[in-house]
Amino acid sequence: MEKSVIVKNVAKRYKLYSKQSEKILDLVLPKSFGEEFYALRGLSFEAEKGDVIGFIGVNGSGKSTLSNIIAGIVPPTYGEVEVQGQTALIAVQSGLNNNLSGRENIELKCLMLGFTRNQIKELEPEIIDFADLGKFIDQPVKSYSSGMKSRLGFAISVTINPDVLVIDEALSVGDKAFAEKCLDKMNEFKEKGKTIFFISHSVGQMKQFCEKALWLEFGKVKEYGKIEEVMPKYESFLKEYKAMSKKEQKDFREKGAELQSNFSHESI
Amino acid sequence: MKFFSLVHLPNVSDRMGPMKAIIKVMKEQVNSFYLIQRLALYDIKSTNKNSYLGLAWELITPAIQLAVYWFVFGYIMKRADVNGVPFFHWLLAGMILWFFVNPALLHGSKSIYTRLRMIAKMSFPTSAIPSYVLLSKLYPHFFLLGIAICIFQLTGSPISIYYLQLPYFLFATVMLVFSINLITSTLSTIIRDVQMIVQSILKMLIYLSPILWISFDSPVFVQTIMKINPLYYLIEGYRAAFFNHNWYFIEQWEYTLYFWTLIFILLWVGSILHLKFRDHLIDYL
Repeated sequence: MEKSVIVKNVAKRYKLYSKQSEKILDLVLPKSFGEEFYALRGLSFEAEKGDVIGFIGVNGSGKSTLSNIIAGIVPPTYGEVEVQGQTALIAVQSGLNNNLSGRENIELKCLMLGFTRNQIKELEPEIIDFADLGKFIDQPVKSYSSGMKSRLGFAISVTINPDVLVIDEALSVGDKAFAEKCLDKMNEFKEKGKTIFFISHSVGQMKQFCEKALWLEFGKVKEYGKIEEVMPKYESFLKEYKAMSKKEQKDFREKGAELQSNFSHESI
Repeated sequence: MKFFSLVHLPNVSDRMGPMKAIIKVMKEQVNSFYLIQRLALYDIKSTNKNSYLGLAWELITPAIQLAVYWFVFGYIMKRADVNGVPFFHWLLAGMILWFFVNPALLHGSKSIYTRLRMIAKMSFPTSAIPSYVLLSKLYPHFFLLGIAICIFQLTGSPISIYYLQLPYFLFATVMLVFSINLITSTLSTIIRDVQMIVQSILKMLIYLSPILWISFDSPVFVQTIMKINPLYYLIEGYRAAFFNHNWYFIEQWEYTLYFWTLIFILLWVGSILHLKFRDHLIDYL
C-alpha cells in the first residue's frame, strides 16, 4: 500500500508562563524562561491511502494538536510530517468570516485555497447543495447556529476534494441527518482511496466508520492498530479510569503532566 | 502530486542576506497579487457590511474630519492662503494622504493576528496578509484622490504637468506603509503591546506631520528635525504635485535619498523579522 501520511518523531512544545514578563524575556534572551510543556512527545506513525483513522484518548492527550499538525496549521517543534497531497481540516471553529454571508464565505475560502474564479463558480452550487442551508446562504454567518456553521465548513472542505481530510469533532454539532450525509460522503472518500483522520467523542460513530484507531496518551502513541483491537482496550481503560477514586484520577493525570513537562527531545 | 514536507528548520532567515530576504518577500507579493486584490475587496465588503450606509462611510468619515479641521483652522483661526494656495486646498492635499496612511498603518499592524486563525492553512504566504489590508485602504484613497482632484480643478488649481509626480509619491507612500506594516504586523502578533504603541504613535503623528501646520513657517533646524518623519516628504510631495509646481523629488534629491534609504532599512528589518517568525506566528495567538 502507498503511504499517504508519515509522522516521524513529532514533538510539540508549548511554553507556560506564569508572568507576562517571562514571555518577553523568553523572546528576547537566549536563556529559556517559563515552564515547558510537551503536548506531543516524539510521536510516530504512518497512514496508508484509504485509511480511516480515529484518534482516541482522554482530554488533553494531544488529539487536536496532532490533527492541527497533520493539517499543516501548526508547525511541529521537532520531527517531521510528510503528507502526500492536499489536506483539509474541518473543525467546529472552521474559520469563517462572521460578517460575510455564507455564499461570500464559500467564495473567499475557495479563493484562499488557490482556486480560480471559474473553478469557484463550478464548485459553488455543489457546496451550497451539500450544506443545505436554504435561504440562510445569503445571510451573514454570524446569524448561523453552530450546526449550520459546521455544515458550511464541512461542505466547503469536502467539495474541494482534498487528499487527506482531518475531521476534528465537527460532526458532533450537526444533527443526525447531516451526520449521516457526512458519513456517506466520507465513505465515498474512503472508496476513492483518500486518507481520513477522525476525532470524535462518540465511540459509536468511531466504530461505525473507522478502520484503525490511534490511541494517544499524554502526547504519545499508546496503541495503534485495527479498531476492533484497540477500541475494546480503550473502552476497558475508560471503565477503569471512571472507577478510580478522585485521588487516583488526579495522580494519574499528574503523572502524565510530569512526563509532558520533563520530556527532552534528545530522547527521541 | 505535490509532496509537502513540514520539517522544522530553525531560523532559516538567519542564513539569509538582507537583499535575499527582501527579494523573497517582494516576490511573494508579486506572485500572489491576484489573490491580494481579490481578498482586499472581500475585506472592504466585510468591514462595511454591518452599517446601513456601507461603502459611503469611506467618504463620510473623511468629509466630517476635514470639515472640522477646516472650521477650526481655516475659519476660526483664519489661516491665510499658503503661497497663494487657498488654505482649504492646502489642507485637503495633506489630509487625503493622511486618510490613507492612518487607517492603513492602524489596520495593517493588527492584520496578521486578527486574521491568521481564519487563514492559517491557505495556499498563500503570510506576508500577503498585511498587503491585502493595505490594498483595501488604497482603493478608498484612489476614490478620495479623484474627488480632491475634481475639487482642485473646479476651484482654481487646475491640473498641470507636475501631476506626473503623483504616481511616484503614491508608490512611495505604499512602499512606506508596506514596510512599516511588515514589521508591526509581525511584532504585534508576538507582543500585543506593539499594537498599542502603533495606536499612540498614530495619534501623535497627525500633529508631527505638516498636515495642519505650515512647514516653512518654523526655524530651519525645527524643519530639519521634522523631516525625519518620512510622511513629511510624502505630504510635501503631494502638495508639490497639486499646486507648488516644482519637481519636489528632484529638487529635494537629498531628501529623496534619505526617504528611500529609510524604506530600504525598514524593508530589510521587516523581511528578516517576518521570515524568521512567520512559521510560528500561529503559536502566539
